[in-house]
Amino acid sequence: MDFTINTGGQAGQGIDTIGDLISQVFVKTGFYVHVLKDFESRIRGGYNSNQIRVSDSPVYAASDKVDLIIAMTKDAIVEQRSRLTEGGVIIFDEGIEFDELESCHLSTPLEKTAKEVGGSTRMTNAAALGAALAVLQFPFKLVENALTDKFERKGKKVVASNVAVAKALYDLTTEQFSGTCSQNLSSIKKGPSKDLLFINGNRALALGAMASNLKWISAYPMSPSTQVFQDIVSQAYKLNIGTLQAEDELSAITMGLGASFAGARAFVTTSGGGFSLMVEALGLAAITETPIVIYNAQRPGPATGLPTRTEQSDLLFMAHASQGEFPRILLAPKDPVEGFEVATRAFNLADKFQVPVMILGDQYYADSMMNIPRFDVTGVSMDRGLIAADGPDPEYLRYKLTKDGVSPRAFPGDAGKTVVHSGNVHLESGHITENPDLRNAMVEKLMKKVPHILKTLNPPTIYGTKIADITLLTWGSTWGSVYEAVNLLNAEGVSINQLHFCDVYPLRTSTLKTVFKKAKKIVAVEQNATSQFARLVRMETGLGVDYHINKYDGRQMTARWVMTQLKEAGMV
Amino acid sequence: MITVEELEGKQAITWCTGCGNFGILAALKKAVIELGVPRHEILLVSGIGCSSKAPHYINLNMFHTLHGRAIPVATGAHLVNPDLKVIVNTGDGDGLGEGFSHYIHAARRNVNLAVFIHNNGVMGLTKGQFSPAAQRGYVSNTSPPPPGAPMWPINPVALAIAGGATYVARGFSGNQKDLVTLMVEAVQHRGFAVVDILQPCVTWNRKLTWKFYNERAYSLQEEGHDTTNKMLALEKSFEFGDRIPVGLFYRSELPDLASGLALPKDSRLRDHETDRALLQQVVNDLTL
Ligand SMILES: Cc1ncc(C[n+]2csc(CCOP(=O)(O)OP(=O)(O)O)c2C)c(N)n1
Ligand code: SF4
Ligand SMILES: [Mg+2]
Repeated sequence: MDFTINTGGQAGQGIDTIGDLISQVFVKTGFYVHVLKDFESRIRGGYNSNQIRVSDSPVYAASDKVDLIIAMTKDAIVEQRSRLTEGGVIIFDEGIEFDELESCHLSTPLEKTAKEVGGSTRMTNAAALGAALAVLQFPFKLVENALTDKFERKGKKVVASNVAVAKALYDLTTEQFSGTCSQNLSSIKKGPSKDLLFINGNRALALGAMASNLKWISAYPMSPSTQVFQDIVSQAYKLNIGTLQAEDELSAITMGLGASFAGARAFVTTSGGGFSLMVEALGLAAITETPIVIYNAQRPGPATGLPTRTEQSDLLFMAHASQGEFPRILLAPKDPVEGFEVATRAFNLADKFQVPVMILGDQYYADSMMNIPRFDVTGVSMDRGLIAADGPDPEYLRYKLTKDGVSPRAFPGDAGKTVVHSGNVHLESGHITENPDLRNAMVEKLMKKVPHILKTLNPPTIYGTKIADITLLTWGSTWGSVYEAVNLLNAEGVSINQLHFCDVYPLRTSTLKTVFKKAKKIVAVEQNATSQFARLVRMETGLGVDYHINKYDGRQMTARWVMTQLKEAGMV
Repeated sequence: MITVEELEGKQAITWCTGCGNFGILAALKKAVIELGVPRHEILLVSGIGCSSKAPHYINLNMFHTLHGRAIPVATGAHLVNPDLKVIVNTGDGDGLGEGFSHYIHAARRNVNLAVFIHNNGVMGLTKGQFSPAAQRGYVSNTSPPPPGAPMWPINPVALAIAGGATYVARGFSGNQKDLVTLMVEAVQHRGFAVVDILQPCVTWNRKLTWKFYNERAYSLQEEGHDTTNKMLALEKSFEFGDRIPVGLFYRSELPDLASGLALPKDSRLRDHETDRALLQQVVNDLTL
């Protein structure tokens, strides 16, 4: 069983609320759920939707077919029509004037029932839920349980009214709906789910950062990153975290550097435009060896681009941002599970190597939700790296030259030590120098860290058979769609696998080299126009891919889309 | 107590002979001693310019940052360790040009920093171009006559008062005694404290010279100025002609930024460990 429900309408109509309700019903009854958020950069009007994919086996990406549509506006009825599967149904309120009725249309009194039975049009959500689940012949008892859980905190009366509204529409639809939906859930056997989180990539990162003993975050709001900052601010008093909305992104990151310099783990969150403003400070972090973790939730650029859409087009920018040369680490989590883990690693890597660590998400990663096992934050280990021994040391040198380039940190306020940081080329003491030999020594100090970083980073993962005729090369959030495409193609008998990178920079090359030798064709699949990761691979290894698949319309690729591209190119 | 010897800088001074920065450095050393706090509890943060090199010439914790960015770096350091006395050394190009938005927002936040503006009316380190505080008509390679600099100078005192700073003063590099007092008070003040320091640049600025200031500077306090009256302070801040007021313009007590953040009560963020059990509860509450 694998089907998709789409709830669509205008911004401000509660599309997310209906989406959440429906998703939660399925999560709570033990299904695997993946939700794609598709919205415009506006507060009212337009067309927004939640696309909810439900399956009895794990799902990793959105699908491009829809089986059931709940439409709150006429646009929403029309918008998704071409994606409706045969036997699919479109539910909408009878108040929407729509003449071109087809057999897949189900016009029903959502608002009227909400008002009459529940006493408020705000319960239209519950009405839509009732209608949708009746069409799917989903047992009402399960709907009732889910509504009870959802509204329990608001009191018995709210629960009762919502259940009554849902029930009214459920019964009415069961009675009136003469068509048959392609999906029939009357005999589902899934048990209740336990210990599952139903979250998106942003929230996973926020939790990972807090689990890593994050003590400072400064940011300036920018979609699609803002939720990370908000999530952390919302826990600040409970956990004692310093949080500040800065006047701009350069202020945000330099505050972060001040905080890190003084001894706290610091985090800044933004999207590409904000990161552009941060760039000079990235170099300051690098030359002063001040650890910092930066999250860029990418969106299509340049400039304002498409604020609420997705793209993987900042990779090379982030790999090369700032004047000068220095080590940095780039990590691109594929989904919320990996996002939590990446966050915890990012802080440890930043402290261990005293370098900037950048997490590359994108709007798809940031906003898409899925159910995943509950995180265990008590098990997160913290490595603050090399810290100078306690006690007075008048000879303390912040930039002491060492074998691996990492010098023990001390913090201003440590009794008996003087800590000197300078963005100028400096002596071991931190004071300015223009001596060419020391310049060389300090450049080499930074670059020495790279081989150690490479040893610590995770190698890429091969999904599917170890060797295949075709290898799809991916990184970050496109993993799920491509993974599903590989599975579907394998089932068709195609020899194809996937080589996927989370730790994208510095680039680990040994697996890459083996795969390039063994596969007949390597195809780069990226959510950008210029195959930035493939270019990075060529830059670092001299190896070029055989074919490129690129999507840059701001909408995440799906498995079907990837398969179509491969088929049209005659690759499979 | 800190001794003068302990403060002896580790780096040879690169300023021009006769530069007003020497007076500021001397006053800073005296002020640090007068503060009477342990040496490791003081932090100097600077931007970029002749002025921003000052921290290298006094043996204290320091962060020589980027052009214009000293204030946010100082803000972050202060908030994770409020025990530190954080002092910002900035130039007029640094703090009032490149970093101006940080200046005004820091004032609005009343963040507990002491900002010393080494105000020489030029961009010294880049060879004398007109700075935000340059007089109208100042001639330089980027402001040829006529008319020289085609705009009026920024007024850091007025802007600090209007912006919400709670300690606003003007010092003069040539008046050590008062400058030390203002510096000590600025550091001890809880909130955003600014001392705009008149600092002759003997190499580039032919107008704002030692002589110019010596002839015009007068003490606000000696004339009995009411430092609690914001409007009066603002009015005084526009006096810059035959007579130039020096001293404390305005002081008030308002909650500082730290008091409005989720900082730990009994420790500092730099040493604080998040209670993972509490966080696990947050995670558990998210489960369905
Ligand atoms: C981003 C950036 N832009 C420009 C410069 C070049 N620069 C260095 S110092 C300076 C001006 C300094 O003026 P001010 O702050 O008044 O310091 P002063 O030298 O007069 O003390 C400039 C423009 C720089 N270092 N960084
Ligand atoms: S250029 Fe001016 S400000 Fe810079 S050191 Fe020389 S006299 Fe001082
Ligand atoms: Mg200057």
